Amino acid sequence: MRRSQHLAAHHFEALGTTCSLFVVGQDRLLEGEAWTRRMGARLTRFSTDSELSGFNASAGRWFDISPDLEALLRESMHAFASSGGLVNVAVLPSMIGIGYTQPLLRGRPAATLTEMHPLPALPDVLEIKPGAARLEVGAGIDLGGIAKGWMADRLRESLGPNALANLGGDLSAGGVGPDGAGWPVGLAGVTVLLRHQGAATSSTRRRRWGGGEHHHLIDPRTGLPAQTGLEEVSVVATNGVEAEVVAKTALVLGPDLAPVFCAARALAWWLSP
Amino acid sequence: MRVTALKVGATALTLATTVLSALYVTSHLKNPAAPLQPTVLRSGTTTLAGGTLTLGPSVQPSDVQPVTSTYAS
Repeated sequence: MRRSQHLAAHHFEALGTTCSLFVVGQDRLLEGEAWTRRMGARLTRFSTDSELSGFNASAGRWFDISPDLEALLRESMHAFASSGGLVNVAVLPSMIGIGYTQPLLRGRPAATLTEMHPLPALPDVLEIKPGAARLEVGAGIDLGGIAKGWMADRLRESLGPNALANLGGDLSAGGVGPDGAGWPVGLAGVTVLLRHQGAATSSTRRRRWGGGEHHHLIDPRTGLPAQTGLEEVSVVATNGVEAEVVAKTALVLGPDLAPVFCAARALAWWLSP
Repeated sequence: MRVTALKVGATALTLATTVLSALYVTSHLKNPAAPLQPTVLRSGTTTLAGGTLTLGPSVQPSDVQPVTSTYAS
């Protein structure tokens, strides 16, 4: 048994949620917080000054994007393909339609549910080339959980070989943890040990409004909040962004298909109806 | 005469080799009940309050206090 090494932890509020960083053996936690805040400011759709809002406002023409946004958009295209279209970041029109136009911390939205349509296929509305991207007119991007999972993976890499980043439940663990056995992480009320793995939770139980009728997790097949018979899915996968994609896809698939999908793509999973 | 002696010698050598091999094998039996190495980790589906939890072989459960959790935010 390896002896426990010094475990440094840092918690802060960013991205509209609670973030936690853990490192064994070195301390670059404040740099991690600063990076998280910078990325959050660039990728939020709630600020008109963000890079993502600038991109959304440029629909119909090519827009110069940073390497980080380009990487995220390419990751989103991959997520669309690997989820059979069930993870689709071209969800902004639906988000606006359900009234989710501001962070929930600023108050509950008023759902309108006007002009709700199935989402367009992402490759039909998003083109990417090195250093630039183009959206079709009428389309809009909300990176949502994919951004958190992707950022958790990047943070974990930058913090050191034995580190864990948790951005509001989207987490990425690298190395063997403080005791050499893996990072002890809570999943559905039990502790599991993660080594070089990620975890994420998708749920319709939080971020609800309209008397509990509406929530933020959109089913791309309808453009409406998902009603599939599953309310919460937690997943352990090979990294943070993969866990996010698998969890969201499983929740949208529902209780009949989710176990099969998770068995093919996840390392551990929690399904709650 | 010489041919017969060679035949008898070859037969005796074959029989001796067979008997010695049989004795060696029976005295060095492998235990079929021996555990596999490395140990196969626990995996499977558990029904908990509110849902089902499935752990694959690469995710181990633990009794230690978690440092953090995955959750919906």
